[in-house]
Amino acid sequence: MRARIRRYYALLLKEVQQLKRNRGLVIQLMLPPTIVLVIFGYALNPKVRDLRLGVVDESFTVESRNFIDSLSRNVDFTVKQVYVSRHDAEDALKSLKLDLFLTIPADFSRTLNRGQTSAVQVVIDAVDANTAQIAQGYLEMALADYNSEIVPTPSVGVRHEIALASASHPAGPPGAPEVQSAYIYNPGLVTSWYYVTGVMSIIMFINASLVASALAVKEKETGTIEQLLMTPAQTGEMLMAKTSPVFVLMMVVLFLSLIVGILVFGLPTRGSLWLFTAAGALSALAGTGIGVMIATVSKSQQQAQLLTFFVNPPLTLLSGATSPIDNMPDLFQKLSYFDPLRYMVTIVRGVTLKTAPWSALWPNLLALTLFSIVLFGISAWRFRKT
Amino acid sequence: MKKILSQAWKEFMLFRRDKLLNMLAVLMPIVLMLLAGITGSLRLRNVSLLVYDYDNTPLSRTYLETYGAALTFRLKPHPPEESPERALASWRGRAALIIPQNFERDFLRGTQPVVQLMIDATDSNSATALGNYAASLNSAFTEKNGLTQPVPKISQAPQQGVVLQQRLWYNPGLSDRVYFGTGGLGLMLIIFPALLGALTTAKEYESGTIIQAYASSLTAVQWILGKALLYVVVGLVEFVLCFILGLLVFEFRFPSDPSVLLVATVLYLFAGVFFGMIMGNATGNQSAAIQGVQMGSFLLSLLLSGYLIAIRNIPIQIRWISYFLPATHYIQIVRNSILRNASWGTSFFPFVMLAVLTFAFFLVNAMQMRKMQFKG
Repeated sequence: MRARIRRYYALLLKEVQQLKRNRGLVIQLMLPPTIVLVIFGYALNPKVRDLRLGVVDESFTVESRNFIDSLSRNVDFTVKQVYVSRHDAEDALKSLKLDLFLTIPADFSRTLNRGQTSAVQVVIDAVDANTAQIAQGYLEMALADYNSEIVPTPSVGVRHEIALASASHPAGPPGAPEVQSAYIYNPGLVTSWYYVTGVMSIIMFINASLVASALAVKEKETGTIEQLLMTPAQTGEMLMAKTSPVFVLMMVVLFLSLIVGILVFGLPTRGSLWLFTAAGALSALAGTGIGVMIATVSKSQQQAQLLTFFVNPPLTLLSGATSPIDNMPDLFQKLSYFDPLRYMVTIVRGVTLKTAPWSALWPNLLALTLFSIVLFGISAWRFRKT
Repeated sequence: MKKILSQAWKEFMLFRRDKLLNMLAVLMPIVLMLLAGITGSLRLRNVSLLVYDYDNTPLSRTYLETYGAALTFRLKPHPPEESPERALASWRGRAALIIPQNFERDFLRGTQPVVQLMIDATDSNSATALGNYAASLNSAFTEKNGLTQPVPKISQAPQQGVVLQQRLWYNPGLSDRVYFGTGGLGLMLIIFPALLGALTTAKEYESGTIIQAYASSLTAVQWILGKALLYVVVGLVEFVLCFILGLLVFEFRFPSDPSVLLVATVLYLFAGVFFGMIMGNATGNQSAAIQGVQMGSFLLSLLLSGYLIAIRNIPIQIRWISYFLPATHYIQIVRNSILRNASWGTSFFPFVMLAVLTFAFFLVNAMQMRKMQFKG
């Protein structure tokens, strides 16, 4: 036993020495949690704003100008230009100068003054379906605002003031049921929290696998693996010595990213930090396992790196770190159960954003544990075979 | 020219020998594009909604049906004793709808009943959307159940002064597959050529064969073009495969004038390979070069090229970066050609930018090489 520890220690020393010399690797490990996390957190804001609106005013009346005014008061739109002919507006939409345009018909004010309903046509560039839908919604709200100004309220019947929880929606008729939406866990609706927690988990996994595969395959590429195999050290010890510095570094990365999350984005930590640490450790282990496995299959660093590129993005995309799993097709939802990263993401969000009860968290922790044991086990077995 | 071709031939022989690399270079973009295109969807469907109906009357059930009939929500039962807070904290649903006692009575009486919707706002963006959906469903319910105040005939005022007639151009079905598919295409074609370019260049440094290139009669330009040529061809194969995938899965259409798309694709591939080679030259180490490519082309392109988030939504402090990404301009051109069926006119500016960037990458490469080469 003592000989074992001594051998392990010697190997560990060698790995640490090598790591010390490898500045690039340390930078490679420390950069993502700081820079990537910050960029992700700030850049990924899918809220739609500043839609460029064009108006074709064929009416040229006080009413139509009032209408345009009321739209431009809306913060979600900027009225770019008022066109005289519809053709110009179409061209502008085609050359991407506009996101949408309205055509106010020539009989706009006449119809309104007659007390009838006037139809305004809107053309939306729907290439980005999501934005188009949101733009549609914004426009309807802006319109409802306008209508409520020009249409006199009926004087018959009791009119209660109804305050809808989402102020952007027009008020319903009196007596209508009201939905009060309560946004729990993130009442301020901070977008960055979702991405920051997701990316935090991705980093743990992907960096562990990248670094581990690079380290393991390097020995193979330079041929020094033969020397290692000649030593009395057993494969298990070699593997442990190889992976433990990576593991320690990854734990540093984990806390670094948590600190960045807390300091820069004000991420709450409502749950147990121990659970967070355990989950982080397990996914670092699983990631290392995948990395070593990749290293044993590939002959060169080139192949290893490409393989990690092949394995990691699917894991990332399926994990629900960047887009909710519920939105995916059923088959993909089922596939995501085979993604260890999914459990890590769940636990991280459960601990930071929610105060998830233990009964909901332990199945995730168990799954993560199983995955890391299996992945690490397979990698040890494969390592021996080489 | 001959020298360029023979350099490309040498690369090809090297490339051919590595079977795994071959397979990955061709297969990976397809698999990734499929995944990225499908999982990228932002549209909410089948959101599990936990129902707490404390009224249990015909009307409250009708109210629930309004939610159940919408594609957005899927009603979900829950254990009777579990509080909504706990159920949400345990991921049993993403929202909980709580209908109070006396809902029906209050509604019929005309006093406003309050229905509560608790939304898990961990994903704040979906949460906002859910809140809005619920408000719309709520007013739909009101309208259907005849509570709309009848407009008094005397005033003659219409309920709605202005109505909208909507036309959705270029994507009338509002399918987000096309959007993510075209973006995915652009993303794939920058990642892999750059990766291959970085790897092959860095390898020359690692194995020391770069000295031979220095010492040979090849000029820097010839060496660079020769190396890049093969990977551009590989990229073209990837383009064709991804495009076929796009036709099959992502509802792509053939543009009526594909010339701008094709020329831009070649330029874009060159830009990708050149970028990779810059990384390879700068680091001289495969592992670091990969990291550089991952940061420089993959992450930046993923985030800032308009693939996921519209460029105008990117904070102004970092928005300028996106103008220096080839992916931004290429994705624009792809969407113009495939979705808007537009040609040179619309794509002119992005095309020029793409050409400028490609040339700039090429220059950096040439400078890096020229510095090292022995003077002949």
